[in-house]
Amino acid sequence: MKKLENRGASAPLLAALAAGTAFFALTLTAPAYAQSNTPIKIGVIAEATAVAGSSIPQAAQLAADEINAAGGVNGRKIEIVSYDNHSSAAESVRAFQRAATQDHVNAVITSYISEVVLALEPWAGRLKMVTVTPGAASDVITQNIAKDYDHLKYMFHGYATSTSIADATCAAAKDLLVGQLHMKTAVVMSEDAAWTTPLDAEYLKCLPQIGIKVIDHIRFSPDTTDFTPIFNKIEGEKPDVIMTGVSHVGVQPTVQWKQQEVPIPMFGVSSQATNSSFWNDTNGATEGVLFQGFSAPDVAVTPKTLPFVQAFSKRFGHTPSYCGYTAYDEVYYIADAIKRAGSVDPDKLVTAMEQTDFVGTIGRVQFKGKDTPNPHALKIGPETISGLMLQWQNGKQVNLWPAKVANGKVKFPSFIKVGAAN
Amino acid sequence: MTVFWQILIDGFAISSLYALGATGFALIFGVSGVLNLSHGSLMVAAVVAAWAAGDSLHVGPYTGAAIGVAVGFSLSMLTYFVVVSPLQHTRKIREEEKEIFILTATLLWGIMIQQLIAYFYTDNAKTVAPIVQGVIKIVGVRTPANEIFTAIVCGLAIAILWLLVNRTRAGKAVLAASMNPRGITLLGVELSQVYVAVWAIYGVLVGVAGVLLGMFLGISSYSAGPLTASAFSIVVLGGLGSVPGALIAAYVVGYLETITAYLISPAYRTIPALLLLVAVMYVRPRGLLGRR
Amino acid sequence: MQIPTARLLLIGLGAIVLASFLPLWASGYILGLLTIAYYFGVFAMAWDLLFGFAGEVNFGPTFLIGVGAYTAGILDNLYQPPIWLCIAAGTAAAITGGLVLALPALRLRGPYFGLTTLVAVLILQNLIVVDAHLTGGEIGLTVPDVISISDTTNYLIALWFMAISGAILFSLSRSPVGLILQASGQDAVQAGALGFNVTKHKLTAFVISAFFSGLAGTLMVFYLGSASVGTFIDITVGVQIIISAVLGGRRTILGAVLGAIFLIAMSEALRPLGDLSNFIVFGMALIVVLIYPNGFFGLLTRTREDV
Repeated sequence: MKKLENRGASAPLLAALAAGTAFFALTLTAPAYAQSNTPIKIGVIAEATAVAGSSIPQAAQLAADEINAAGGVNGRKIEIVSYDNHSSAAESVRAFQRAATQDHVNAVITSYISEVVLALEPWAGRLKMVTVTPGAASDVITQNIAKDYDHLKYMFHGYATSTSIADATCAAAKDLLVGQLHMKTAVVMSEDAAWTTPLDAEYLKCLPQIGIKVIDHIRFSPDTTDFTPIFNKIEGEKPDVIMTGVSHVGVQPTVQWKQQEVPIPMFGVSSQATNSSFWNDTNGATEGVLFQGFSAPDVAVTPKTLPFVQAFSKRFGHTPSYCGYTAYDEVYYIADAIKRAGSVDPDKLVTAMEQTDFVGTIGRVQFKGKDTPNPHALKIGPETISGLMLQWQNGKQVNLWPAKVANGKVKFPSFIKVGAAN
Repeated sequence: MTVFWQILIDGFAISSLYALGATGFALIFGVSGVLNLSHGSLMVAAVVAAWAAGDSLHVGPYTGAAIGVAVGFSLSMLTYFVVVSPLQHTRKIREEEKEIFILTATLLWGIMIQQLIAYFYTDNAKTVAPIVQGVIKIVGVRTPANEIFTAIVCGLAIAILWLLVNRTRAGKAVLAASMNPRGITLLGVELSQVYVAVWAIYGVLVGVAGVLLGMFLGISSYSAGPLTASAFSIVVLGGLGSVPGALIAAYVVGYLETITAYLISPAYRTIPALLLLVAVMYVRPRGLLGRR
Repeated sequence: MQIPTARLLLIGLGAIVLASFLPLWASGYILGLLTIAYYFGVFAMAWDLLFGFAGEVNFGPTFLIGVGAYTAGILDNLYQPPIWLCIAAGTAAAITGGLVLALPALRLRGPYFGLTTLVAVLILQNLIVVDAHLTGGEIGLTVPDVISISDTTNYLIALWFMAISGAILFSLSRSPVGLILQASGQDAVQAGALGFNVTKHKLTAFVISAFFSGLAGTLMVFYLGSASVGTFIDITVGVQIIISAVLGGRRTILGAVLGAIFLIAMSEALRPLGDLSNFIVFGMALIVVLIYPNGFFGLLTRTREDV
């Protein structure tokens, strides 16, 4: 039997522990500060440590500050309440519940990850909370609204669906790849994720329509780190171009593409390539990569684009990611909808949001109606939002398409062999 | 036929990297009986340090690499002095339970480092500017020169380690300590000095492996867990405590993964190695060359 | 000096009844937080049964939890059967998983058992990521049904589930079976020499641990409405469970609940710091492990064993 010894000295420690626990209990249960003429609260649930996601709360705050400086919404100020979801759907759900029931927000702006938005969509319905996404692309988000409009009408898709992104990419490919470079074959290479399923399906449809034959379709796990086998396989098939669909990865495939000197250009969707830090992150390996976007630091898509970029850069020290532009616009048109509805009642807000006709930083924002296959999706096209096709050249993002806002020409690094079907 | 050469070369580079990491891991376990579950985080820290040096201080690739290795070394020493050594010497925990506490503590420590890195540098992947650029054609396969460089450096490091352990007095003390810790104290060798030496060597190995990985494939704070898992899978396969076993197992695992990625699908890359591990643990738990 | 079973159970019951009145004045957010903490408490208690008593370090408690949670979630997604059926199926899957893991693993000595459990978690994680079509992969799975959207209902369900699980597990630990487990854990050879079937008892402990872990896991899925690797499977979650049990005090069962509540409360209180919050919480846990390995209960009973 071991010797037992009393330790009287632990009494002060116990007292400290008890006091500490009581203190915590008190801070946690402090009742919410009740006010009338309360500020309008917009909850922002985003991936604050991800390069793309960090711009969402930042841009939202910028918009809120600008609106408040101009007098707010009918005298009420806008307050941004921010939550970091660590790229997790479950954490987003908890944050959403907290935002609705504890912090009493009037609307939520959330996430560029489709799976997160899809996890929150039913909760937007259950808790009757107007929710807008600034960056997720999955078509399923709006298809769900069509299937159950009455419950899910609170959801708005503030970014292009994968299908319309694929269409915008094909439109650019028609001019640049077929028209200028006479390309004929492609391999589609994308990460296995919810947003790429409709993207790839649309690629497979629209590419043949512009004269490019798809000779293979590769989907890889989003946590792939070694892309050598994939590039080797693609090279063996000798396509003229690699059509990409990547977002969760970006740095690694790009760096390895350059190191291996794969002689085939990459064209398509690469969300990380839209970040201004991407050049540094890849140590310049991204030279020559072509990527679809709706915004770029030096392109005046609308009169509001460049002033926003300048204000953002000045305040945060770097240019905004692609979802920063949309998050900024969202705060503005949510505020506008509240003003037009004259109330923050969720159902009235939905009706006002559906009537949005707002010129933002990426184009003219209008939502598709409830009787379309994708209600509450953004209208994409030359009259509303057309998108851009960008290329990294010498540390800068140069826009190549559409012609009226182009500020450069296609240029490839020396190891790329274009045109000649190697 | 090209696929065969591609697998051979690609597999060799990856396996060499695994071997370097696993060797350090096996050394620590073999000598001090500690399974360092913060292994992956130490590697990530080394890479991020090298990348950050290049990004903010604008140093060249050589200096960046050196800084990365230095960080790996320092963190390793910190791990030993702050986490492992106190637990090994404490009297508040029963001897049988110490192993578990050390495992838990290193796991905690590893996660802490990972969180800190993600906080300051985001969880986005980082790559280190390679020291060697360009491509070389080997048997008709266009290979990045960097890959060859990686394999060579790994080989050199392991060779130096072998020389150290087998030819120097200090090294022989380490070898003896791994076989019989009690016995060696009878010969007048200060066990704690041996431990410090081993953790120091480990730190350098981890730093070099991390920086090489950063140049070759890139790394993110997410990689910390999988890197640790991969290291101890290899070490268990090779036999806990056996460094030569770990080396062989590293090549087995490296080639298994590469073959799977090329011939089956990149998505299933890690599965066969894990299944092999399970099989080994059920059928022959002491691994290929294990002793205990 | 061990506090008598009856007294502890009475104090526990009193605390539970008091806690049942919390919804009257606490906000939905606090209730939600405590709901998660209570489920974590069950995870930690189940772990403590295995470690504290059977002496087996389970580094992958999340293997059992994950199997239960995902089975229930995937079933619901595919066929939408009634929730109770999904919960039953999930729990059954967890028990099966526990058996599959335990039968061979219990033959192993020392660190190998712990490693086997760790490898099990890795394999599960890989399988889930690779089969993303079925499981939602890295980002997660959404289930169409939830038990309730009322904070109060969810809170009370979690509270009483934890209370009943705690009572069962605690009584088990103080029962003759529990004593045999403890003996097997501390000195298996001697226990075997005394005529006890050590393996059978450890296996029973494993199955019980799996039952409670799996059941709690499925209940949590239908509370959150989603499952993801980050909530149920990741090593970080496993570590949090182990920390809760160690912080509370090994071999006390009830201490695990205190540890879980403390851990979750601290993480939330530090939330404004972002990722740094996890760093601090784990840092504190590390300090506790290094300096006060006997945890809260160890401090409360004010004893120190001379080694």
